[in-house]
Amino acid sequence: MATEDIEPATKSQRLDEGTRKTVVRVVRHSLLLTWSFVVLFPLYWLVSMSLKPPGLANSLPPDWIFLPTVYNYIQLLQREEFLMAFANSIIMVTASVILVLLIGVPAAYVLSRYDVPMQRDVLVWILSSRMLPPIAVVIPFFVIFRELNLFDTRIGMVIMYVSINLSLVVWVMKAFFDGIPETLEEAARVDGATQFQGFLKVVLPAAKPGIFSVAIISFIFAWIELLFGLVLTSFEAVPVTLFVYSFIGSRSIEWSMLAAASTAMIVPVVVFLIAVNKYLAAGLSFGVVIKE
Amino acid sequence: MSTPTQTETTSESTFTRLSGVWNEYLPYWFMAPMVLVMVMITFFPGAYDLYLSLVAEPTLNVLDAEFVGLRNYETAFTRGGAVHSFIITITVVVSALLLESVLGFFLAALVTGVESSRAKSFYRVLFIIPMAVAPVSLATIGRIMLNTEIGVIPYLINAATPFTAPAFLSDVPLLTVILLDTWNWTPFMFIIFYAGLSSVPGTLIEASRVDGAPLWRRYVHVIIPYMKPVVFVAALIRMIDLFRTFGVVYGLTRGGPGTATQLVSINVYEQMFINNQAGVAAAIAIVYLVFVIVLCNVLIAKVGFKGVLD
Repeated sequence: MATEDIEPATKSQRLDEGTRKTVVRVVRHSLLLTWSFVVLFPLYWLVSMSLKPPGLANSLPPDWIFLPTVYNYIQLLQREEFLMAFANSIIMVTASVILVLLIGVPAAYVLSRYDVPMQRDVLVWILSSRMLPPIAVVIPFFVIFRELNLFDTRIGMVIMYVSINLSLVVWVMKAFFDGIPETLEEAARVDGATQFQGFLKVVLPAAKPGIFSVAIISFIFAWIELLFGLVLTSFEAVPVTLFVYSFIGSRSIEWSMLAAASTAMIVPVVVFLIAVNKYLAAGLSFGVVIKE
Repeated sequence: MSTPTQTETTSESTFTRLSGVWNEYLPYWFMAPMVLVMVMITFFPGAYDLYLSLVAEPTLNVLDAEFVGLRNYETAFTRGGAVHSFIITITVVVSALLLESVLGFFLAALVTGVESSRAKSFYRVLFIIPMAVAPVSLATIGRIMLNTEIGVIPYLINAATPFTAPAFLSDVPLLTVILLDTWNWTPFMFIIFYAGLSSVPGTLIEASRVDGAPLWRRYVHVIIPYMKPVVFVAALIRMIDLFRTFGVVYGLTRGGPGTATQLVSINVYEQMFINNQAGVAAAIAIVYLVFVIVLCNVLIAKVGFKGVLD
């Protein structure tokens, strides 16, 4: 037994460093490429379906080679409901991200820098707002929105989107501010800046990666939300998720149009993700490791 | 920080005084809007759900309502399918969380080891893209690609392997939901673990390498213990979100076939808006809420939150 244990070890030691490195590299990249395929294949399929003429969309065996057409997108753009839902989503989601940052970032700063009474409880309370299943939240708001004439309005939806993202903004930004040395503001104070100016001109710029990444994450969470739209809108403030869903709901599914609408929904977020990619990892570290 | 002098005009000193108040109470101004919103989105829905779950017919005048005690809760657990939906939800949460954590960590470790920074950046961007896909769009993709008659995946399985493809949406609907969610949200775990791995000090890894520890031991004894807080935060947040799963199931199966994929969120939605049983819906929601909050608090207390909560 003992000799058998030693045998492979000595063998692998005999492999010279260069060969070993090459083997590791090949294995690593083949695994990574496998996952890339898993990620890309459904997306490729969706996009290619949206570019196929309707008759070709579901033919089996699949037509791997085809003449792409923008027919489905033109059809889609002629649907007023789609344009409106898309515009609604862009406006409501963007507004909610701005609002949630305005509310959440200053609060996170205070939670990071000051001795807030019951700090721990406050943080857990904030997180608990994310524990509320949206379905439990949406029933009361359904009732109160009808009373306040907020049902099926963009303002109402913006409020709901803020509610799902606030806890995440506070948590991520608190951790991020923790990682920014306090000496930065102290130096600004010595130079005559007020507390507020110190926050605005020194701390905020330093927290930029965190703000970018939390903004994109908030954008995504609001952009993909279906339930609130399903319950709290009927016509005026319908988000694009609901438009996509209404396709699936109908009895005969127009696969090509559905693929085009889904593709159109993914594009803005992918563009965003690529744009802020540089900041994303730093912003999402939650400061947990950096601090120790 | 200039002190007002007598030569300054009144308006200036008013401004100074105002900005003094602003600066002195800065923490309060900064916290107030957040606290206000938090009260609105936590206490109000909780209280209203509780009220709904205890009355026969909700009325605007709370005192007029006919209180029925725990009758709605009884209905929820006898005829409302609450037990079934709890079991299913927990199954989905546990399996998807495990799959996504392991896969996310594995991918993060692989990408961290890539030497060329260009390739690294390429993989990083590529791997987070599924997160951009709304669950309802993912349900669309799933319904297209997994369809028994027109789907490419059953076609490829039948054509290229000796196996016969299962009918994903009717034979193994729960597994399909778990796999789709894994595709969708492994990126979330990946990106957080990636950030965590990048911040493990090189000296720590170097030291264990010099000791001649094999790769897996380095991970088990050095890197993972160091990253414990990150792993915990990521898993907790993902777990909380998994409990909210709605869009992908609603778009994919709407809870069916039968009640095979009727997660709690779907169940509550149907009780409320299809069966018009607001009381039963609220009762399930309340039990669920208490369950999730207790679970999370136990986890937080057990594992602690070093570096985040303090």
